[in-house]
Amino acid sequence: MKKFISPAVCGFAAGVLQVVPLIKSFACCLIIPGAAFLSLWLDQKASKSTNKIPMKKALVFGLFTGLTAAFFGTVFEVFVTFITRQNDVIVAFPELQRMIADFPLSPELKNQVMEIFQTVRKELMETGFSWLYTFTILFNNLIVNSIFGIVGGLIGAQILNSKNKSSEA
Amino acid sequence: MSLAVRFSVTLLLAFWLLGVFLEWLVPIIPQLTLFVPLMHNSYSLVCHQQQSKLLGDSVYHSLVCSRCAGIYVGLFISSIAALFFLYRNEPPLKIIIFASAPMLADVFLCAFGIYSYSKSLAFITGFLLGSAGFLYFYSALKKLIQELNSKKN
Repeated sequence: MKKFISPAVCGFAAGVLQVVPLIKSFACCLIIPGAAFLSLWLDQKASKSTNKIPMKKALVFGLFTGLTAAFFGTVFEVFVTFITRQNDVIVAFPELQRMIADFPLSPELKNQVMEIFQTVRKELMETGFSWLYTFTILFNNLIVNSIFGIVGGLIGAQILNSKNKSSEA
Repeated sequence: MSLAVRFSVTLLLAFWLLGVFLEWLVPIIPQLTLFVPLMHNSYSLVCHQQQSKLLGDSVYHSLVCSRCAGIYVGLFISSIAALFFLYRNEPPLKIIIFASAPMLADVFLCAFGIYSYSKSLAFITGFLLGSAGFLYFYSALKKLIQELNSKKN
């Protein structure tokens, strides 16, 4: 388990960056890949190795970073929502209403969409928790962060290997 | 790397890009509206989604900012090129440095107020990084497949 310390630390940091209000507004598609890259770099520094990183290791590190970020991102999101009874769904609801109203759709379809979000919003405002919302963000985070983590790990290993090669030359 | 693998990568990127421009498909397939809020939430994980930085008109927007959209389009275009041309050589480190420099410069110059944010400049600099980044991803994927195959044999 010791060898997974760096992806765990970087995944935790990325998960926090994705959730904490204000910092969240700097969210970027490079955060999770960057965390995966950093985890490989830190691992290399800790082991003082200059050997080429095997791609299988890069894949596992990237995946682990993504999964850690997804887990902590979801836990913090649910916790912050439970405490504050505020989150993106509640804040963006008026904007969502306006957006749906602008779409050229049948009134039934508009009502159907609004009903689903109205239910989730009501639950979040009253109890601070919604199973549907929690499941949705967990599913989202697991899929998106894992893919971005793997891509970041693979690209990161390739960059670190090129760097090692150029420093050897 | 086999054509099937390269095609799968292009297909996955195409699906991801379809998600980015999902709102633009709503006039063609109205039922997609059901997925817009959900996809909006998914893409919020990988982009700040500031309204003023999104691509599109007053009604339909991309679900990520111009810079992120540029990165994904760059990845996608490079993946299409990979269907026809085999990238045989390993990309040297300087490619990613040169490709990311304009984007980093744009981010810092905008952040320090040297000039104001331009969607087209953000898109182009993102595109550069995305298209160069794909070379590294492609090379890494090729090696990963080789490693997995050599373990099997």
